[in-house]
Amino acid sequence: MNAWLQVFSLDFAVAGAAILILALDAMGGISGRVLGWFTAALLGAVLVASFFFDPSGSVPHGVYVAGAWVLFFKRVFLVAGILAVLGSLDWLSERTPRRQAEYYALMLFSLTGMMVVPGARDWVLLLVAFELMGIPLYVLAAWAKTDGPADEPKVGPEAGMKLFVTGAASSAFTLFGLALVIGETGSTALSALPAQATMLTHVGMMMVIAGMGFKLGAVPFHMWVPDTYQGAPTPFVAFLSVAPKAGGLAALTVVTLSGWGTQQTFWAPAIAVIAAASMVVGNIFALPQTDVRRLLGFSGVAQIGYVLVALGAGSQEGVAMALFFIATYVFTNLGAFLVVHAAAQSSGGHETAKLAGLSRRSPWLGASLLVFLLSLAGIPFVVGFWAKLFVFMAAWRAGLGGLVVLGLVVAVFGLFYYLSVARSTFMSEGTAQEPIRAGLALKLSIAVCLAAVVGLGLWPKPLVDEANRAASAFMQRH
Amino acid sequence: MSPSNLAIIATVAPAVAALLLLVVAPLRHKGAPAAWVTLLGSLVSLGSAIMLLLGRVDGGADVRVTTPWIQEGSRAMAEIGVLIDGVSVPMLIIVCLVALCVQLFSVAYMHDEPPRAYGRYFTLHAMFLFSMNIVVVSPNLLQLFAGWELVGLTSYLLIGFYFAKPSAAQAAVKAFWMTKLADMGFLFGLLVLFVATGSFEWTSTPSAQVATWVTALLFVAVIGKSAQFPLHIWLPDAMEGPTPVSALLHAATMVAAGVFLVVRADPLFAQAPETREVMLWVGTVTAVFAAGLALVQKDIKKVLAFSTASQLGYMVAALGAGQAFAGFFHLGTHAFFKALLFLAAGSVIHAVHSNSLEDMGGLRKKMPLTTAAFVIGALSLAGVPGFAGFFSKDLVLGSLEGKGHWIPWTLLMGSAFLTAFYMGRVVIKAFWGNESEKSSHAHESGLAMTGPLMVLAIPSLASGFLGGWLASQVKAEYHVHLGLTPIVASSMAILGIVAAVVVFGRGGKAPFAGVLEKLDTFSLVDRTWASGYRIGLLGIASLAGWIDRYLIDGLMNFTGWATLEGGASARKLQTGLVRDYALMVVVGVVVLVLIGVLR
Repeated sequence: MNAWLQVFSLDFAVAGAAILILALDAMGGISGRVLGWFTAALLGAVLVASFFFDPSGSVPHGVYVAGAWVLFFKRVFLVAGILAVLGSLDWLSERTPRRQAEYYALMLFSLTGMMVVPGARDWVLLLVAFELMGIPLYVLAAWAKTDGPADEPKVGPEAGMKLFVTGAASSAFTLFGLALVIGETGSTALSALPAQATMLTHVGMMMVIAGMGFKLGAVPFHMWVPDTYQGAPTPFVAFLSVAPKAGGLAALTVVTLSGWGTQQTFWAPAIAVIAAASMVVGNIFALPQTDVRRLLGFSGVAQIGYVLVALGAGSQEGVAMALFFIATYVFTNLGAFLVVHAAAQSSGGHETAKLAGLSRRSPWLGASLLVFLLSLAGIPFVVGFWAKLFVFMAAWRAGLGGLVVLGLVVAVFGLFYYLSVARSTFMSEGTAQEPIRAGLALKLSIAVCLAAVVGLGLWPKPLVDEANRAASAFMQRH
Repeated sequence: MSPSNLAIIATVAPAVAALLLLVVAPLRHKGAPAAWVTLLGSLVSLGSAIMLLLGRVDGGADVRVTTPWIQEGSRAMAEIGVLIDGVSVPMLIIVCLVALCVQLFSVAYMHDEPPRAYGRYFTLHAMFLFSMNIVVVSPNLLQLFAGWELVGLTSYLLIGFYFAKPSAAQAAVKAFWMTKLADMGFLFGLLVLFVATGSFEWTSTPSAQVATWVTALLFVAVIGKSAQFPLHIWLPDAMEGPTPVSALLHAATMVAAGVFLVVRADPLFAQAPETREVMLWVGTVTAVFAAGLALVQKDIKKVLAFSTASQLGYMVAALGAGQAFAGFFHLGTHAFFKALLFLAAGSVIHAVHSNSLEDMGGLRKKMPLTTAAFVIGALSLAGVPGFAGFFSKDLVLGSLEGKGHWIPWTLLMGSAFLTAFYMGRVVIKAFWGNESEKSSHAHESGLAMTGPLMVLAIPSLASGFLGGWLASQVKAEYHVHLGLTPIVASSMAILGIVAAVVVFGRGGKAPFAGVLEKLDTFSLVDRTWASGYRIGLLGIASLAGWIDRYLIDGLMNFTGWATLEGGASARKLQTGLVRDYALMVVVGVVVLVLIGVLR
């Protein structure tokens, strides 16, 4: 088979799925709900195919390399995509029944971009994939536009706008930084950087890191996070809060370790500073939040701080544990947002107080939310505990003792705000009593997240093995 | 099917039952379906265990299948899995068989419970069997500890089954407290072992000093779980639980987990003669002390409870003498005849609606089957030649003979006399003698209850003849010989019975009964623990409370206040204006570039 076709096969399949969905919609006669299930099924098929068809290989000039590393990320993205599509289905057919296919198609396009990112070893391809991942997100963030109940504030456009403006600024910096780097080295290959880099290259590198930091929502590029999370449709936020972050992590890892592996002493301190700032700011700002979406937003900033600690370690173990962390984070955070979404649909608001009595109204939803929150807080034996433990152990071994201690200290704040949400879910009496109605797709999505968080908490080994394999493949430049 | 899969099925089947009952609430709330689910799970377990046994009879080899569990980087810190050998398979049979009998018995015995409580009861039973099987098939000490704690939890929940009754709730808490206190030993023992050797294997060979520490710490946990002096006090109180629970957990299986642990960790204990010396004496003291107290109990279940502690003392003494096989053999026979005794007692209690021996009497005509079962159990426990208990007790005593352990040997012989004596007392008081007001209305229990009694009576009679086979399974030496020990032991048993007939047949009281009753009601050990708790623990607690309230809370409140204040003022940065956000991006880039350039 053609090498290009082989290495890009899964990405092409997702792009093809997007076009297929649009075409089916244009033909008319198919309900948006069916299209949603169909989208999920297509993604599921690609996910299954990824286990039977091995796209490993590389294309001429080493522009794109596929292997265990790439496969790991592709699967994470596909899982996140499936769960998010299922989670969005009911909301979408209720709130914007006339434009559902576009939503799925945009999500698929963003996924296509994401899936290309981890394998790209050329600045141009990497940047294009990165932007392909990002641009559909701007549109999706503003999806609710002005429809919806009359008494609800119209925050959709604001959410999209804030994401877009900060995103545009960040992209500008990335491009400018790249111009400096490419101009100095004279090549668009990631590996073209000489061991002795000039100062101008270093400035360019910092700008590129800043651009990636935006997608990760790391401090100080996180300002859009709470506002967008609050304004964008919650099922979409569930996606936005995990998948692009995994994409950002992939990009940042590729750029730093694969592209600038020789310059580790140079970029590692910058990553460490961002990690420290994210952990501190995320955890402290989450404390006074009364809206669960904002709270989870800041919590996400803090969680990204933990991942960056592992990346800052710069070791193979650090990379592996960052992979493990982000993969488990997909299930945990996506699940948490979907439960919040389900609850808010019935009680009409996303404030923490509105969750009161949730465990009594819907014991399963309440229990799921509790499990997700415990996982985010890092309590044994849910998966978040292992994720945090592994990340900190890797960092400790790489000599980042200071960051580990800081992370452990601020993680205590995490306990406080996560458990305050759990408290209002379980301890307070709510006004409403009737059980929460959630569609089958949404329930299915939450159930998968719950099973993964609990199952991997008891038995993290398979995923750890996968992450180790991916990291080792990455370090050997596959 | 491969042995490892069979062992996994035996372990997991009750877990599936428990999980099903936990998740599908209607099954549990309806009561009867829960019993069926649990029984099915236990039946599958027993079936797998029997197939494992048949495999071993055919000469199957030991199998150890493990898989890494806790990952540290790319290295496995701990493993879980199953170990199938001459210890785990017989134990699995004992546990599953007794559990199934007890559960069958419970179907009728607990029949008057409301459906929800009935369902909860069987859910807990399924949980227990799962936890116990984890202990039995463990390939290392860490997994064994996990199962150990799980059986502790189910024990707590089952003792407190009638939680509306204050005495039951208190007994549950007491049992939990005492065993948890002892379990700290297990935990610290594991820590020491892991730090010293980097593994949780009982086959590891640490230095002599470490081995002594580890085994001593493990033995603390054994004292708690197997109700040895001075932590035995929780066991009589645990009789507040339903009688079938007492039969399964607090006589046959769970309390024997302590003995099982030592049998398992025998390679470690073999490296620590000092610990063994202590074990020998603790076991002996418990055997004698508990037998004495069993003599004056008025509650039939408490007689059996003290008797359990006493018999566990025999096992521990044998382990202390380095004869793990003797202890294990006695564990096996004891499991059968003590479960039989408890279930027969349950049948009596069900008929007369009272635990008190005073309310029984003359039951042999009303309840012939139950009487026969109880008498078989009692003769076995007393160690009358031919019955199962004789062979195993003989082996325990024989292991002490002629090895310089004459004092424990003599004491345990005396205790053997006491055993026959107090069991004679119970049999005469409950089944012979004059009918009381309550026992005159009693009638034999139905087949659902007598059936399990008949099943358990068979191994209580005959399992003693399996000693040779069991020994070949664990590669121990075993030969029956007519020496000093069997002659003295059987004379003690017969003398004890004769003495009981002479003394209690005429409605008399035991010699020294007054002293023993005083000892029992004064409950010195209980009081010592209680005052230790009051002075030691509450004293430390109030000191810690003061420090917590004034120093730590002050610090915490300040930190919390400062953080919330800081958060509130920092929030002003989050203006909501998109131009400020873009500005922040610029600031971030400038800071990063400065880091880059200034380096």
